[in-house]
Amino acid sequence: MSLADKLKDKKVLVTGVTGFVGEALLHRIIGDLPGTTVVAIIRPKGSLTGTARMAQLLKKDIFKPFYGEGTDHADAEALTAARIEVIEGDLSDVPELPKDLDIVVHCAGDVSFDPPIHEAFTTNVLGTKSLLERIVETGREVHYVHISTAYTAGRRRGAIPEAPVDHNVDWRTEAEAGMAMKARVEEQSRSAPMLAKFRKEAEKLHRRAGHLTAAADTERRRTEWVAKKLVETGTERARSLGWTDCYTFTKALGERVVEEFSAKLPTSIVRPAIIESAVQSPHPGWIEGFKMAEPLILAYGRGELPEFPASPDSVIEIIPVDHVVGAICAVMATKPELSRPEYYHIGSGARNPLTFEQLYAGVRAYFSKHPFDLGERGAVRLPVWKFPGGDSVESMLRYGERAHKIADKIITTVPRGERTRKYARELDVQKRRLDFLRRYMDLYSEYAQAELQFIDDNVLALHNALEGDDREKFWCDTAVVDWQHYLQEVHCPSVTDSLRRLDVVRKKRNKALAESAGQLKKVEPQQDVEVIAAFDMDGTLLSSNVIETYLWMRLPELDSHQRIGEIGSMLRRLPKLISAERKDRGTFLRTIYRRYEGADLEQLNRIVDELLAEHVLERLSGDAVRRIREHRAAGHKTILITGAIRPLTRPLEPLFDEIIAAELAVDDRGRCTGFLSGPPLVGESRAAWIKHRARGTNIDLSKSYAYADSHSDLPMLQAVGNPVAVSPDVSLFRAARAARWQIVDWKTPSTSSRLELPGVNAR
Amino acid sequence: MSRPGFVLEVDDRTPPLIVHSGEGFLLERFPLGTRVVYPPEALPPVRDVEEAIQNALLNPIDSEPLPELLTAGMRLTIAFDDISLPLPPMKKPDIRQRIIEAVLTMAADAGVDDVEIISANALHRRLTPNELRDIVGERVFRSFFPDGKLYNFDAEDRDNLTHLGQTRHGEDVEISKRAAESDLLVYVNVNLVAMDGGHKSTSIGLASYKSLKHHHNSHTMIHSRSFMDHKASKMHHSAWRMGEVLTQHVKVFQIETTLNNNVFGGPLEFLQKREWEWSLKDQASMLATKRGLAAAPAKLRHKIFTDVRASYELTGVNAGAIEPVHEKTLEVVHRQHLVEVQGQSDVGIIGVPYLGPYNVNSVMNPILAACMGLGYHFNAYRGNPIVRKDGAVILYHPVPYEFSQLHHPSYVDFFEEVLSESTDPATIEAKFEKQYAEDPWYIHLYRTSYAYHGVHPFYMWYWISHALDHCGDIVWVGANRKTVERMGFRSASTLQDALEMVSHSVGRSPSITYLHNPPHLLADVR
Repeated sequence: MSLADKLKDKKVLVTGVTGFVGEALLHRIIGDLPGTTVVAIIRPKGSLTGTARMAQLLKKDIFKPFYGEGTDHADAEALTAARIEVIEGDLSDVPELPKDLDIVVHCAGDVSFDPPIHEAFTTNVLGTKSLLERIVETGREVHYVHISTAYTAGRRRGAIPEAPVDHNVDWRTEAEAGMAMKARVEEQSRSAPMLAKFRKEAEKLHRRAGHLTAAADTERRRTEWVAKKLVETGTERARSLGWTDCYTFTKALGERVVEEFSAKLPTSIVRPAIIESAVQSPHPGWIEGFKMAEPLILAYGRGELPEFPASPDSVIEIIPVDHVVGAICAVMATKPELSRPEYYHIGSGARNPLTFEQLYAGVRAYFSKHPFDLGERGAVRLPVWKFPGGDSVESMLRYGERAHKIADKIITTVPRGERTRKYARELDVQKRRLDFLRRYMDLYSEYAQAELQFIDDNVLALHNALEGDDREKFWCDTAVVDWQHYLQEVHCPSVTDSLRRLDVVRKKRNKALAESAGQLKKVEPQQDVEVIAAFDMDGTLLSSNVIETYLWMRLPELDSHQRIGEIGSMLRRLPKLISAERKDRGTFLRTIYRRYEGADLEQLNRIVDELLAEHVLERLSGDAVRRIREHRAAGHKTILITGAIRPLTRPLEPLFDEIIAAELAVDDRGRCTGFLSGPPLVGESRAAWIKHRARGTNIDLSKSYAYADSHSDLPMLQAVGNPVAVSPDVSLFRAARAARWQIVDWKTPSTSSRLELPGVNAR
Repeated sequence: MSRPGFVLEVDDRTPPLIVHSGEGFLLERFPLGTRVVYPPEALPPVRDVEEAIQNALLNPIDSEPLPELLTAGMRLTIAFDDISLPLPPMKKPDIRQRIIEAVLTMAADAGVDDVEIISANALHRRLTPNELRDIVGERVFRSFFPDGKLYNFDAEDRDNLTHLGQTRHGEDVEISKRAAESDLLVYVNVNLVAMDGGHKSTSIGLASYKSLKHHHNSHTMIHSRSFMDHKASKMHHSAWRMGEVLTQHVKVFQIETTLNNNVFGGPLEFLQKREWEWSLKDQASMLATKRGLAAAPAKLRHKIFTDVRASYELTGVNAGAIEPVHEKTLEVVHRQHLVEVQGQSDVGIIGVPYLGPYNVNSVMNPILAACMGLGYHFNAYRGNPIVRKDGAVILYHPVPYEFSQLHHPSYVDFFEEVLSESTDPATIEAKFEKQYAEDPWYIHLYRTSYAYHGVHPFYMWYWISHALDHCGDIVWVGANRKTVERMGFRSASTLQDALEMVSHSVGRSPSITYLHNPPHLLADVR
């Protein structure tokens, strides 16, 4: 009797039908088991109901042959009506099930290897339990097919029989403890010492931008820490009990739950190994999303995986998804006895082993023949793996990470410049690769060094029992797969295909980006709203800083002895000033401006007009002035926002509609007191000022512009719709790149000299 | 007597020759048969400068002696050529200082106390106080500058301009109100090259944009052939017509001076000697300079050249009525600069030096480099250009992308915004000139800072319109490719490559003329 006959008129509940295996199973049932009805539990997602998600699923290419002309079903709706029943629901809260179910296939599960511990327990243990309870409620002797994983064997070695995993961990205790972790970790993250730690780290980077920016970063760090801690807790608990990670650990406990219920329900437990793309059905190479090996294959093809901590002779248990689905169908047709669950290993290691070295050779051969075309530099150089073993790869990686950390420290300390930014960008790429390596090595090294052999006699027996053309349709003997053909002709082409297409698009985009790099788009006049363009001064419009300009202002008044004294005292204070600047710009400015005490404000104005104006103008970047004027020509309101003192902005007055500068407070004789008449406008106060300025007016900030050079201006840049980072420091450069802001380099004319001091040695 | 200029024909005994190229120079071997035009050697100076000045002021041409023109209670204005003359700036004392002091002494003797001294900078940048002091001298500066009686002309100060009328061609004559309303305007000029002086002094130096645009435009400039010959220059014709109107309203006492060709002195003296006559000392200083410049950082190199002061000597001073004075002046200028050249050639070679009239104490930006090569040196001819129609010009200059944001703010924008759209002078004029000329920011910088007027880069571009029109090919040797390309030219690494590039239009063995300039010369092409 064929499988189709055996399963005729059966009603099969499938969970996880939108997942990789679930989808393939649905496809197979619709196509090859014409008498079988599918009941699918689908979780509503966003605004989509479960039914809508099913409709969406059926629109995929692999389902198209099942409806329309020349088939029994006019359209996807007709197909659904005839063969599929959708139940809206979620495994965290399983709805009531139909009373006429014959078989349940539980494919749903958390497939990531490093889920937070509470999530892993929710889906893999508690979800399974509540599903089983609902099945028992139906009162029928439903055949329960549980999809688990071969790696429930954990860190065991050698031959693994198709039998219960040998352990005596109590799943109830573990589940309770695991679920409690979330609250525990959350609570821990809110303790004063932890919060202080997060805040200090955040302030180190963002204090200059302001308290709120730092606070936002603190909270981000906290949630990140909680997530990381929960993952770590899961992994460590798993390892402490002999499993590789939280995924296999909870899967193994899930099997225990299933085994408990096997007294009430005939039960089969299917344990696939690493499921990869299809050999034959729905079509060769069919795969949905990226599974375990894909990121590594792609990274290798891009030349970004220099080495892997695998043993070359360890067997990597890959199985094509159609073999898994064939086996599941065959299992569905069996009739296990109560209290005697049947186990099925779907792996390839027992009879058709693929070693890591062979996998590597296959992938390498594929990419040698079909390299990625990554732009102008020709094919990528493929790394040659020597398989030096886990420890030395680990130490290589650790070395790389340490080197990166040091380089990063240096790059954020050295003076900014085009070259610094170039190095920073290279470092970021390096960092991304290191993170990738770190993540995958931590996740997979256990698997790549596993010395397990999954016995699959039960599956082979199933296969051999298949009759007639069922052997073709539901093939589940992995011995037939020619691995090199599979890797080079089926799997790799399929998983690289989407990326190759993406590469073409990216190449085009990068070319366009490279052409327009550093070029600002022309500004457009706005009809019905007002637009502002806010500019920072020091470092953005001209190369200068408050210390320098302070010397410009003070030195002309002094005789040569006093000048030397003044410069000397500034130099002595320089290290302190620099560290103050890094911490808090406001304090730094106040410290400098204290030194104006006793200066005559009128005199300062006069010095600027007579001596400094030409120095300021000479240092102005031509690009900057052009941009300001472009804004004016477009009818935008140009605003200069600077922490510099008001007199210094005098030469720029004609360019701006509004100038916000630090105001030196004066006494009744017009002498500076050394204090400011209000706090200097730095960091978040600039953003606040701009927002306040726009409030109640016709100004549209989303269409407005801001230009600044320093990380402390981040809030101001974030406040407008068109932020531009001008010759940015490394921190702003990174933020700007992450946010895809425009970055330009406005150079101070090479004709000006830093060493020329107006009124002293300048002509 | 000094030796006259001459044309050398390069043969196999000719040593490598000096070619100026920005802040540096090259020693170039020219193809055999290349004609090299050498200026005359420096003329002997007048024996006694004071005496020559007194003589000119007391015995003017077609005018009463200066003392007779000065009366107590009168309004006297002294205008003088600004820092664009002479090039390079001359060693102190400047000749203008000596003349102004003489004039002021006579004025004091006559009891004149309403005296103002104006730098006739038209749309050029204002002179800094130090630059004014260098020209007029410490004494004059101290007595006049603090009271605001020594100042730069402001062509945008509408309240202080006077419209004197129109010429018979309908050209507006609008000049400094103070000058227009003075009882006597004394103009002190430095007639470095044949282009300067005459009616160009007052009617251009003290005029506003409204007046200047009648001759500083692409049409007039393309028909000025050349600027160095006022009789064949449409620009000068216009200035002369304006001069007629001006002199009807204002009494002008023109004082013109001529200088000899002593441009380089001290360690750079070899630059004005003929290469085969270099002494051991000259060769040593040439080598030292060449090596030193190659090793020096750009800023130091710039400083070395900026600090060059020429040891010019006075070869003549004439005073009186503008036109006859200018005739006399030109005679001396021609004697110093004129070199007879027989016939045009296929290729002209020009070495563009580090300095032009508009980058004194500043940098030579690409537009100024083009103007210096194609506006000044190309136009240093009388009769016919040294290059035949549709011939090729090869220039030497690094043309770096370098602009002074202080002195040439509108140049940067002109380079980025205008030249990227068009390099045709007439198109540029029609589309962009008005916008730049009336731009409030440029006007603000021109009036209060030290910036050339917004329209000035346009004038530079009009200056080269005659060369653009006349030449088939223009190639720069050793120039920044991007900047040269933006200006519509091509760039070659060596002279050989440049000759290769122009060979499609002038053939494989073109006739070549190299203008060995500076020192200044004027090719009289028959």
